[in-house]
Amino acid sequence: MNSIVKALLAGTALTVAAASTATAQEIPQRVGYIVNYATHEWYQNVIGGMQDRADELGIELEVLDANLDIARQVSAAEDFMARGVDVMIITPVNEEGVVPILRRARANGTPVVLEGNPVVGMDTLVAICDYDTGYHAGVAAGEYANEHLGGEARVMNVGLPLLSATVLRSQGFMDGIRTQVPDAELVHDLDGGGNPDRSLEVSMAALAADADINVIYGINDSSAIGGLQAWRANNFPEDGLLTVGTGGEGLAFINEMEQDNSYELEAAMFPEKVGFTAMDAAVSMYNGEELPEHIVSPTTTLDTESWRQYYDYDGSSRAINWETVNALVPPAECMMYAADLEG
Amino acid sequence: MSDARITGSGTASATATASRRGFVEGLLANRLIVLIVLLAVLCVAISIGSSNFYSVENIVSILRQSSMVLIVAIGMTLLLISGEVDLSVGASMAFTGAVAMSVMNATSSLLLGILAGLAFAGGVGLFNGVVVTFLRVNSLIATIATLMILQGGVFIYTREAVQNHHQIPTFPELGAGYVLGLPVPVVVAAVCFIVAWVALAKTTFGRRLFAVGGNPKAARLSGLRATRLKIAAFVITGLLVGVTGLILASLMNAGQPTAGRGFELIVVASVILGGTSLYGGEGTLLGTFLGVLILKVIDNAIIILGLNQDLQIVVPGVVIIIAVYLDQVRKKRHAT
Repeated sequence: MNSIVKALLAGTALTVAAASTATAQEIPQRVGYIVNYATHEWYQNVIGGMQDRADELGIELEVLDANLDIARQVSAAEDFMARGVDVMIITPVNEEGVVPILRRARANGTPVVLEGNPVVGMDTLVAICDYDTGYHAGVAAGEYANEHLGGEARVMNVGLPLLSATVLRSQGFMDGIRTQVPDAELVHDLDGGGNPDRSLEVSMAALAADADINVIYGINDSSAIGGLQAWRANNFPEDGLLTVGTGGEGLAFINEMEQDNSYELEAAMFPEKVGFTAMDAAVSMYNGEELPEHIVSPTTTLDTESWRQYYDYDGSSRAINWETVNALVPPAECMMYAADLEG
Repeated sequence: MSDARITGSGTASATATASRRGFVEGLLANRLIVLIVLLAVLCVAISIGSSNFYSVENIVSILRQSSMVLIVAIGMTLLLISGEVDLSVGASMAFTGAVAMSVMNATSSLLLGILAGLAFAGGVGLFNGVVVTFLRVNSLIATIATLMILQGGVFIYTREAVQNHHQIPTFPELGAGYVLGLPVPVVVAAVCFIVAWVALAKTTFGRRLFAVGGNPKAARLSGLRATRLKIAAFVITGLLVGVTGLILASLMNAGQPTAGRGFELIVVASVILGGTSLYGGEGTLLGTFLGVLILKVIDNAIIILGLNQDLQIVVPGVVIIIAVYLDQVRKKRHAT
């Protein structure tokens, strides 16, 4: 508890410090963002938040898509440097591939802010805490289980073991739920590939083998919905089931939460806020300020009521409520990092 | 005497060996029997590892998953028999779901959504057919190009999944409903299978398709209109992709632009495993059905036995190599 309070105070101090220096900062004219996969909803919203902040500050933002190709990412970085952007923001396609870009950018005098994944030799990274996100959703799920599911939790995790970030989310979720339901059981630990159709397929097979679960956890919204749709395809009733998604990257979770069904909790990661924070970090880098190695972007667990405080929804599109999202205080550091994972 | 005996014994042995080889070759030549035996062995082996394998829920799950692949594999079988292939089916399936869902959202009409989805997917099939036959672009290359156009195009059409805003009550039934105790996709696949089987085995269309794929030159000289037949096969495949796209959109309750990645490889692997020749002119729908079933049973086994799920991607790749190799060996034997 004491450490949480300390973390909150540290986070608040960092935010206040950032806000106070912002007024005295010089503003870069042009910022280039090399996204790893622009067609994903998550990154579309990261770009959206970045653009919003750039517009506020009067910065020209240019976005290039590496489309999961490290060679394209390298050439995009060379292109940006040749055209003299003031700061680059990069979401790495892979960790090793970005190292030479960082070296070249340093030699060229172009500051670089990384988003999402850490890279050796980086100056600063803007990212959420994956473990914490899953953990807090797990705690909320455990509380829900005690209240509505008779204190039992048998979990189907629709995960993605390929990525350390998503492994951290799943591990955090199970650790979190066990703080409330000590006997919570991981019945199925699946690889849904992070996409809805594969999640649907593996969940169908898993449910056919053993349908005795009452919690579906997805490492992103597509995975959670794939698992939930597999449940529905079996004509199982949703009474006595809890579905928990992660990300809040698009409209899917809102669409589910608007209905009266089992999708009760969302571990929201606010991609718009990640973009917003990355742009602020770019401004700080441009001004030569000392930044922490990891700037944490806040996450929180939403339920069927509280999501409306963070998003306005008109039936076909959503808009982030900056006031409430910016009021969230991120921890100064994460509870667990990829390096802490066993194996 | 002893020599004679030895000789006699050697001859008998050689005859027996030849006889055994002939039996094995005959068996291998009958792909359907091999597939049935393989499927049976798989089922027995998996059931030893998991008592849930024969549960009604698991069998229904396998059938439902198989049905979506089978529907498209039926079209792919016709195409391969005609000597062509379509690698754009996965991308087209995803785009179809997005289009159908958008139309349903805009009109609140299930019928219009279905028609729009089928028209789109059929249109993609027609486009492929025209490019392959009139522009004479190799179908492998042409449909890879179409795949790229569709994968990029769907993100121009929609930047995110098209959610279900229409809430038409019957829409979820397309993927998750039941008819006579069977999942709707299974019933749809069965109907498609029967119609295609009749078309292939009992009509001049089917016979001509085999002729065009088996010996295009001879078919042309005998007056068969290969262009029309091939375009028809592409359009039929497109329409079947449309059916699957609608089922998938229903199952996911959204038009997902990222869906269907790698789906084409599962379909092609199933069809080749089922004995349809990559060189055209040979193939059976029953073989395709067994090919689909074997791959989906393996998929299911990987989950229920708790094996590494990356194997679900590895297995079809291995299957494609083995099946194509066997096809080549068989072709060479026929040639000699």
